[in-house]
Amino acid sequence: MIKTLGVGWIKKGKCGLRDKGLTYKYADLKSLYLVLKEKGIFSFPVENFARFDQASKLATIAVGLALYDADFVYAQGKKQDIGILATNKNGSLDAQLAYFKDYIDSGRTLGRGNLFIYTLPSSPLAEAAIHFGLTGPLLYMNFPDSAKNIRLMVYAQEMIRAGQAKTMLVLKSTNQETACFVVGAL
Amino acid sequence: MPEVKVVIAGYDLITAYGLGVSPLWRGLLEKKTCINNLRRFSVKSFQSVNAACVDGLTYLKNKSLALQMLEKVFARNNLGIPRDSFLILATTIGEIDILEKYVLRGRGSARGSVVTNLLRKTGRLAKIKVPGMVVSCACASSSAAIAQAASLICNGKKDSVLVAAADSVSEFVFSGFSSLMALDKKRAKPFDKDRSGLSLGEAAGFILLMSEERARKERKKIQGEVLGWGLNCDANHITGPSADGSGLSGAILKALKSAKVSSSDIGCISAHGTGTLYNDSMEIKAFRKIYKRPLPAYSIKGAIGHTLGAAGLVEAIVALMILQEKVIPATVGLENIDREAKGWVSLFPRKLKKNTVILNNCGFGGINAALVLRVND
Repeated sequence: MIKTLGVGWIKKGKCGLRDKGLTYKYADLKSLYLVLKEKGIFSFPVENFARFDQASKLATIAVGLALYDADFVYAQGKKQDIGILATNKNGSLDAQLAYFKDYIDSGRTLGRGNLFIYTLPSSPLAEAAIHFGLTGPLLYMNFPDSAKNIRLMVYAQEMIRAGQAKTMLVLKSTNQETACFVVGAL
Repeated sequence: MPEVKVVIAGYDLITAYGLGVSPLWRGLLEKKTCINNLRRFSVKSFQSVNAACVDGLTYLKNKSLALQMLEKVFARNNLGIPRDSFLILATTIGEIDILEKYVLRGRGSARGSVVTNLLRKTGRLAKIKVPGMVVSCACASSSAAIAQAASLICNGKKDSVLVAAADSVSEFVFSGFSSLMALDKKRAKPFDKDRSGLSLGEAAGFILLMSEERARKERKKIQGEVLGWGLNCDANHITGPSADGSGLSGAILKALKSAKVSSSDIGCISAHGTGTLYNDSMEIKAFRKIYKRPLPAYSIKGAIGHTLGAAGLVEAIVALMILQEKVIPATVGLENIDREAKGWVSLFPRKLKKNTVILNNCGFGGINAALVLRVND
């Protein structure tokens, strides 16, 4: 039976773990990351976390919270057959605007590679996959209607049934909240 | 894995060779490259001055480049796409030139470039009434979309799925790849010992997938079959693949397993073959892990450039042509085969001896996709 095994969520000023019933308050994502690292939710430092764009920071923290809530242990250098599906409203629009405005402001001669890499909507998922060693399918999906989350859950379950991954993470972001669901067999 | 046979019931595309499959196929066999001087925007500050662009498109005017290409493809009569088909659009960043126009000229809205807008427009062009979805996973977008489409059909959720794909050459993308030092100064030379980067290209197209039952009911000519697929992630580095090929080989193994075929059933490999030092070397290492002896492999990116999110769809159509014509084109741009790639790639066209091929795509973030296609003799 495929079920939701854990949930991590982040809202403005607080975040939490659904099954463990824990919540943490935070001022900014950098301080939240440091608190979660201290609590063992990040078992080793996230490389280049400070250079991530906002969406990648939120994705990586939400995945960390969800895996911790589902009692999934991870370690540096160890890879796991876990995939990620994600959706949101505007893809990577903020990162695209940040890259292109910076390129124009710098005289339209050379863009900044570190901003360009986040202009793909799949990049935040890739950053999370790299830190947690997640080697399953990784896809950003978007839908023109409001049932994004339900649809993503169904796709995640289908991927598990089809043997494409043992466990899937479903990541959804709105202006108010980023949430990650761990979906797998009991 | 597939319980329902997933067949290909139609396809069409536009590349820098022009509209349709014939000019693309002819160009590949003639070893002609479309990578030429880029005149769409100023390139004097960039690493390269070349790209493979579709003729006759207007830039930063009324319609986006991606939409103009899709319009040309869907304007052809008698495409025979059922109105109840589910639409999957594959793209990396779709109509990014709408955002460029907003930033450069203050015209329109940046939000107009969000990919769900292009999905709606594509649905209207294809006269499809089901809203569908967008799949975006870097340069593996359209092969992953084909995998999702096949999955929906084989588990009985849909019986007709249209996969459309589009990505274009814009200043946004060109400046970004230039900043990553990923472009070849001249033209991409996949698997060449002197390769030094990729060339950008643009393309749009579609593949119509159906259950065999639906295709027969619609009296469609069956052009090929999607036998299996494998998707995974290297979890290695945001811009670099696992150098030893272990990520890609994992996706290939998944695809072979889901297709219920062995590596010895494969007649040729459609490589991702970007022309970058790391990608091409990693791919050959991945192939060596899977195949006991070298198989014919090729890349089309020296001909039409790297078409990003559309690459997998274009490459799947070329693979179908190879299966139908029994000829494997040479790798355009290749002059001196890299030592690692000897025995795999060729300067000349070769004969296809089997009826099954595999294609691979790899993207930023270490995303890998592999598809197994077959045409029954």
